[in-house]
This record gives sequence, C-alpha cells and structure tokens, in this order.
Amino acid sequence: MTRWIPLWLHRLSSPPTFYRFAGAVWPWAMGLALVAGAIGLYGALVLAPPDYQQGDAYRIIFIHVPSAWMSMFIYAVMAVASFVAVVWRIKLAEVVAMQSAPIGAAFTFITLVSGSLWGKPMWGTWWTWDARLTSELVLLFLYLGVIGLYHAFEDRRQGARAAGFLAIIGIINVPIVHFSVNWWNTLHQGSTINFFGTSKIAADMLWPLLVLTLATKLYYVASLCRRARADLLALEGNKAWVHELVAPEPAP
Amino acid sequence: MSGSWQAFLDMGGYAAYVWPAYAVFLAVLLGDSLVPTLRRHRIVQELRARLVRQAVRQDAAHAATGNESGATAAPSRST
Amino acid sequence: MLRRELLLAWRRRGDIAMPVLYAVLVTVLFPFALGPEDTLLQRIAGGIVLVTVLLAMLLTLDAMFTSDIEDGSLEQLVLSPQPLALLLGMKILAHWLTSALPLIVIAPLLAAMLHLPGPVIPVLLLALLLATPLLSLLGAILVALTAGTRRSGMLLALMLLPLCMPAVIFAAGAVAAAQQGLPWLAPISWLAAILVLAIAFAPLACAGALRIALDA
Repeated sequence: MTRWIPLWLHRLSSPPTFYRFAGAVWPWAMGLALVAGAIGLYGALVLAPPDYQQGDAYRIIFIHVPSAWMSMFIYAVMAVASFVAVVWRIKLAEVVAMQSAPIGAAFTFITLVSGSLWGKPMWGTWWTWDARLTSELVLLFLYLGVIGLYHAFEDRRQGARAAGFLAIIGIINVPIVHFSVNWWNTLHQGSTINFFGTSKIAADMLWPLLVLTLATKLYYVASLCRRARADLLALEGNKAWVHELVAPEPAP
Repeated sequence: MSGSWQAFLDMGGYAAYVWPAYAVFLAVLLGDSLVPTLRRHRIVQELRARLVRQAVRQDAAHAATGNESGATAAPSRST
Repeated sequence: MLRRELLLAWRRRGDIAMPVLYAVLVTVLFPFALGPEDTLLQRIAGGIVLVTVLLAMLLTLDAMFTSDIEDGSLEQLVLSPQPLALLLGMKILAHWLTSALPLIVIAPLLAAMLHLPGPVIPVLLLALLLATPLLSLLGAILVALTAGTRRSGMLLALMLLPLCMPAVIFAAGAVAAAQQGLPWLAPISWLAAILVLAIAFAPLACAGALRIALDA
C-alpha cells in the first residue's frame, strides 16, 4: 500500500505517461468545469436574490472571490512544484510549475479587475491601498517576474529552475508584504475596508459561490493539462514517442 | 417578459460594473484556453516539418550510397 | 576577497560616482515638477529620498556580477574550496560599501534640499542604514538568478519590486512617524529584524541561485 503510491507517482512523472494521462483527464475536467460554470453563473446572476445593502453589485463576488482563491491556490501549487523541481530536478515538476504561472497570472488579473469594478460603486474608488489589494498586486508582479525570468533563459529547463527559485522566494515574501501593508495602512488611515462584513452569507448566495469555485478549480486542472501537454511536446521534440505521435501515417 | 429581461440586464443600476466584470472573467479564461491549442498546433507543425526534412535527408543519403556502388549512375545524378 | 573587490571598485571610481550623481539629479527634478512650496516638499521629502536611493541602487545591482562573468572568475568562485555563501556574502558587503554607502553619505544633503526638518535626518539615515543592506542582499539573489541570461535590467526591476516593498514601507514609515513626532522605534526594529533574517539566509539563497543559473 505504501509502496505503490510512490511507484505510481514515479511512473506518472515520466513524460509519455503523463502526456497520455493528461490527455485523458482534461476533456473531463473541462466538461465538468463548463457544466459547473454554467450552473454557477445561472445561480449567481438569476437565482441569487439581490443583497439588501449592495443591491445587484454584490454579484461580482461570484467571480471575484473564486478568482482570488485560485490566484493564491495556483501560486501554492507553483511553489510546491518549483520546490520539487529545484531539489529533485524532475522534469514534470518544472513543466507543472511553469505552465501554472500564466493561469495564475490570469486569475490574479481577473481578481484585480473585478475587485476594481466592485470597489467603484461600493467604496467610490477603483483602488485603495488596502493590505489585501496590495498583496494581490504584488502577487501579480511575482507571477510576471516568474514568467519573465523563465523566458529570459535560452535553456528552458534551466529557466524553469531559476524561475522556480524565484517562486519559492516569493512565497516567503507574500506574508511579509501583507503584514507590512497592514501595519502601514493602520498608520495612515484609521479603518480598512471590510470586504464581507460580519453578516452571514445566505444559502442562496453561498451555493453559486461554491459551485463557481469548483468550476475554476476544474478549469485550472484542464488548462494545466493542456498547457503541460503542449509544453512536453516542445521539450521532448527529439524523443521517439513524440515522433510517433506527430507523424501518425509514415511517409510513403 | 421583456420587462424582466430589461431588469436582468440593468442589474439594479449596476450594469456598468457587473457586466464588464463577468466579461473580463470570461474573456480572460477564453483567451487562456486558446493559448495551448495554438501552441500545440504550432509545435506539431514544426515537428512534422522537421521530421519530413530528416526523412528527405535520409532518403538522399540512402540514394547517394546506393548510387555510389554503381559507378555509371553517379554522373547522371549530377546533371 | 573583500580587499580584492574593494580594490577593483577603487580602480573604477567613476562608476561609484554615477549612482550618486543620478540620485542628486532625480532629487533636483522633484521641486521643479511639484513646485517649490516648503510644506509640500517637507511632507514628501523622506519618501523621495528613499525611493531615489532605491532606484540608484537598482542601477548598480545589474553590474554586480557582470565583470566576474566576463572574465570567468565567477566560475572559479563557485568551484573554490571555501563556502560559496561566505564568498558571496563578502561580495555583497563590497557592493553595499561601494554603492550604498556613498548614497547614504549624500542623503542628508538631498533631504536638506527638500527641507526635511533637521531632527528627522538621523532617523532617515538610520532607516537607510538598515534598508540599503537589505536591498543589496535581496538584489544579489535576483542578480545571481539572472546571471545566465541576456542582460535585462527591466526584468530585475520587476522581480525586485515585490521583494523590496516591505523594506520601503518600514523605512518610509519610520521617517513619517519621526516627522509627526510619533515613536519611530517599532518600524525600525521590524526593519532590523528583517535585515538580520536576510543576512542569515540571503547569502545561502544567493549561492543556490548562482548554482542554478550557471550550471545547466
């Protein structure tokens, strides 16, 4: 029992096996993500009642909060995969880490834009130097730094390890940033904005939020699988299994 | 019916904020899901072209060695 | 090692003057852009001096390993029997002495040009003394990471910005607190705590980064 899990992981980490595995997984993940997304959006936009304080503007929460969760979740995945890549030099971990970065950056961007669009009618401003907003912005810069460093290297595997190292440094940095901005903000202005208030979210509002969170998670799995597949083809372009794959009919 | 549809689009007066947020969400994720498709297509094209080139080169080399054995065939190739 | 670095730096005295000149020029530009009102300049003086010093240091960071990569002495360093982290620590110290110390020396002048009140200047200097080594240490890790790449100063800035934000916040916070007559010891001690952590771990991280960036 304890023996076959590492063995299975070891088998899975070989590129051809993972390529086939990801190819089998992503249509399911994407299909389920679309179904959950459709149900969640219907619940979010139609079924959920308007908030008694914020009216219909609060409906932005249904994409803002799942995106914010994903931006942090993906960063954590990236950092763990980077750690594995830097320490054990496993090719698949490098691929997972580096292909997660653009997806995470996309979710971080969505979080910032939707938060901005939510903040304007609610607080009367697009942006405020609140600890959460600033940390999210720093997260976006970290993602961009990781992506930029990865592409600055000629050798892609080396670039992946260097960028992974940066990702690991970044995850130490984020709590410090959050803490320092919190400290700084309390110095400058007395109160910070309270996102969710103390009021409990009604069940009608909660289930679309959870369903959409599930949808974004599934979407990440699907997108990661597809990106990793494309990346593996590029990385392993000289291997026989890729040649068999891209040339299904041998030239006459 | 049209009234409720209007009310839905209006979003209680917050249409200018709610709909762009959802549009950005969907547009960014759609863009994100197009990237691997395009990249995969490009990589496969490149690899195929490389394989074809390799095959041609191998054929040429094969033909050259095959022709060298017959001394008379070699000049006819050069013309 | 430290002697060699300092000697090398002394042979290129002109390079040391460049960031100082840059800092002076940037600081002179601010009153022109904002108007010469004393009260406004006073309020933002601390922040301007800090950000200017940060940017001037960013200019020098890029060149930290350049000459060593060109003449191959960096690879010798990696292969040498002494611990790499210690050697890199010396290198970082040399960088701080040659690029940050001149800036700190000139900082009171810059602050005076912007009418920062006299009693605040010691706090500003203390904040700079703690924040600039932090920048040198963090910057060294990032420069080591980019050692194997094409030159790209913008990338370095993009990577350094999120990492140095806490340092800027606490340093500026201390100056602002001192200006308002509030106790400024808390941000200074946070800064010192972060610096101690960085001194302990940054050379190790720098060595790791350099190993990744150099051997494929």
